[in-house]
Amino acid sequence: MNQATLILIVLALGLLIYAWSRGDGSHRVGIVLGWSTLRRTLPLLVVAFVIVGYVNVLGPQNLVQNWIGPGSGWRGLLIGTGAGMLLPGGPYVVFPLIATLYQAGAGLGPTLAIITSWAALALLSVSFELPFLGWRFTLIRLSLGIVVPSLVGLVGQLLFGG
Amino acid sequence: MRKWIPDRTTLFLIGVALALAVVAWSQGGAEKTLEGLANGGRTLLSVTPLLLAAFLLAGLVQALVSREVIERWLGSQSGWRGVLLACLAGALIPGGPYVYYPLAGALLHSGAGIGALVAFVTAKNLWSVTRLPFEFALLGTQLTLIRYGLTLVIPPLLGMLAEALFGRSIDRIREAVG
Repeated sequence: MNQATLILIVLALGLLIYAWSRGDGSHRVGIVLGWSTLRRTLPLLVVAFVIVGYVNVLGPQNLVQNWIGPGSGWRGLLIGTGAGMLLPGGPYVVFPLIATLYQAGAGLGPTLAIITSWAALALLSVSFELPFLGWRFTLIRLSLGIVVPSLVGLVGQLLFGG
Repeated sequence: MRKWIPDRTTLFLIGVALALAVVAWSQGGAEKTLEGLANGGRTLLSVTPLLLAAFLLAGLVQALVSREVIERWLGSQSGWRGVLLACLAGALIPGGPYVYYPLAGALLHSGAGIGALVAFVTAKNLWSVTRLPFEFALLGTQLTLIRYGLTLVIPPLLGMLAEALFGRSIDRIREAVG
């Protein structure tokens, strides 16, 4: 069992104890909510990991390194931003795919750009945004945020890219 | 039992998986096709304890931080103070876009400024506490720490920029949404 697993389990147990100590049944509500999210996303999760398996077996190292490798520069950052905006699905789908790309040789900068772009600029969630906040708001938010993934990738690559 | 109807995201991903399976088949026949499935299954099994803990954590945060709490907390906050409070609220609010956009819409109508709204959505996207466990579990400690560290300043920064540059647009935005 690795470090991340341990940290997560400790955090989950801590929060569970806190919820239980409030005495309002929120520990039970939390377990039920977590379980129902898991059940709902299980098919998606299985499909995502089938993709991960095939990417691993097909070994697209050359492809990944050419397009978004450590030496791909601005092009890699821009491709990362574009790919992040288009990635569909929640964290349990997107993160395994990004991890697979990273292991196949994607650079730190482009990888950070993909994560940040998916988180901040995902185009799929715009369809939820428009009815509640309107196109003017969406336009302002996206135009302010569009450079963020490339910048985060650039700074990350410079500071931690080795 | 309820019939399972796949949504568009699932269908799209099934398509991608099938396309990859065809590529594997053309490269190495049945052996490589099965190898891909087995590899995916092993990877999924290896992160299962992590995923269980992450789903439990996300569910508990959802139970402890309700929409009412956030709404009461933010109310009609606007200006710089609103931006910072909105960042915290965005970080804590659990759930997908179908949860936080309706809430943002409610905040817009209760008088929140554009800076606060941009900060709220951006903090939800970049600081999300409920997403953090999944990121740790699936991307690893190093990538997650670097990513959160580097994007720490973004939500307040974008919120303040939005307030400074587009602060006056908020009335038109409010009218347009009605």
